[in-house]
Amino acid sequence: MSFKREVPTTVMSGFALSGVLVLTILNILLQNIPTKIQTAGDELLKLNSSEGVANAVTSVVVYFRGFDTLGEIAVLFIASLGIGLMLESNSKCDIKAEGNFMLQTASKLLFPIIMLFGIYVMIYGHLSPGGGFQGGVIIASGILLLLISHKNFEVPHSVIIWLETLAGVSYVLIGLIGLVVLDKFLGNFLPNDISNMGLLLSGGIIPIIYIIVGIKVGSEMSMIVQNLIKRDGDV
Amino acid sequence: MFEFFNQPEVIKTIVTIGSMALFFVGLFGLLTQKHLIKIFMSIAIMETALFLLFIGLMYKKSFLAPILSDGQTGFTNMNDPIPHAMILTAIVIGMAVLALGVSFAIEYYKLTGKTNIDEMTSLRH
Repeated sequence: MSFKREVPTTVMSGFALSGVLVLTILNILLQNIPTKIQTAGDELLKLNSSEGVANAVTSVVVYFRGFDTLGEIAVLFIASLGIGLMLESNSKCDIKAEGNFMLQTASKLLFPIIMLFGIYVMIYGHLSPGGGFQGGVIIASGILLLLISHKNFEVPHSVIIWLETLAGVSYVLIGLIGLVVLDKFLGNFLPNDISNMGLLLSGGIIPIIYIIVGIKVGSEMSMIVQNLIKRDGDV
Repeated sequence: MFEFFNQPEVIKTIVTIGSMALFFVGLFGLLTQKHLIKIFMSIAIMETALFLLFIGLMYKKSFLAPILSDGQTGFTNMNDPIPHAMILTAIVIGMAVLALGVSFAIEYYKLTGKTNIDEMTSLRH
């Protein structure tokens, strides 16, 4: 059976026409935006000065939208759980091919550097571009390098479970402590002076929460990568 | 000659047209392909078009990235941080959901040996 699907030309032309119409409407709308529009982002930029965090994107992700980030991490956890349920059950065999000696030597050289870079991106997320999501994905890419180069390498499952559990629980616990201390979920109860802005120890709970997010994203992405790469052998 | 492209209307038009074009590339693949993994790839391309639209629409010339660095005193003349923050999480979530879909496809192939969606008629009979 062929892999090409026969789509009638009327359907395709209808889609093209609707695309052109949507484009026109969007363009008309966009041309009429006043230049001095007050957006929610401007308000958040003004508010951001009081939190003592140099990276406004981080304070939006972790502080102003912190509850949504908790939900997004839950979505990530559910996706990771689904992949584990789908693929983990019969993944006894490792991948057949082992990396050649160049890949093995290069992975020994590169793996510490990748981990160091990932942890740096994670810890300095409130000062520079980066943060927990990016750092976690970088760490997972280091795990991927080890998985494709060493045949018998396996991410220790119990360690990952404990890391994930601790990260998720401590995120919620920090939020609840803020609820108790400041009467606000994820309230910034640690010292966050503006005079410390730009230092590593600044911003109160924001860097701590981003490191927690990084640990959780890194462990979940590592498990996703391992579950996708370990196969039965016949596939 | 490049000052023409720095006008905000021109930038927004280019971003809109480009991301819609990318979106329709993904939609074309979604409609014409029958391989399950190619369909997931098309959905990923459509996602990427949305990311580019969100980030590109908030670009303003001579505005800085919303990060306070040396020599700056306040959060003035900075880009809107909200699209960056939303797209940042959307990328990770999109990747995880794509991996979930691909794992469904792998498991289906293991069970039945089929990747063509026309042959997936197990529920029809």
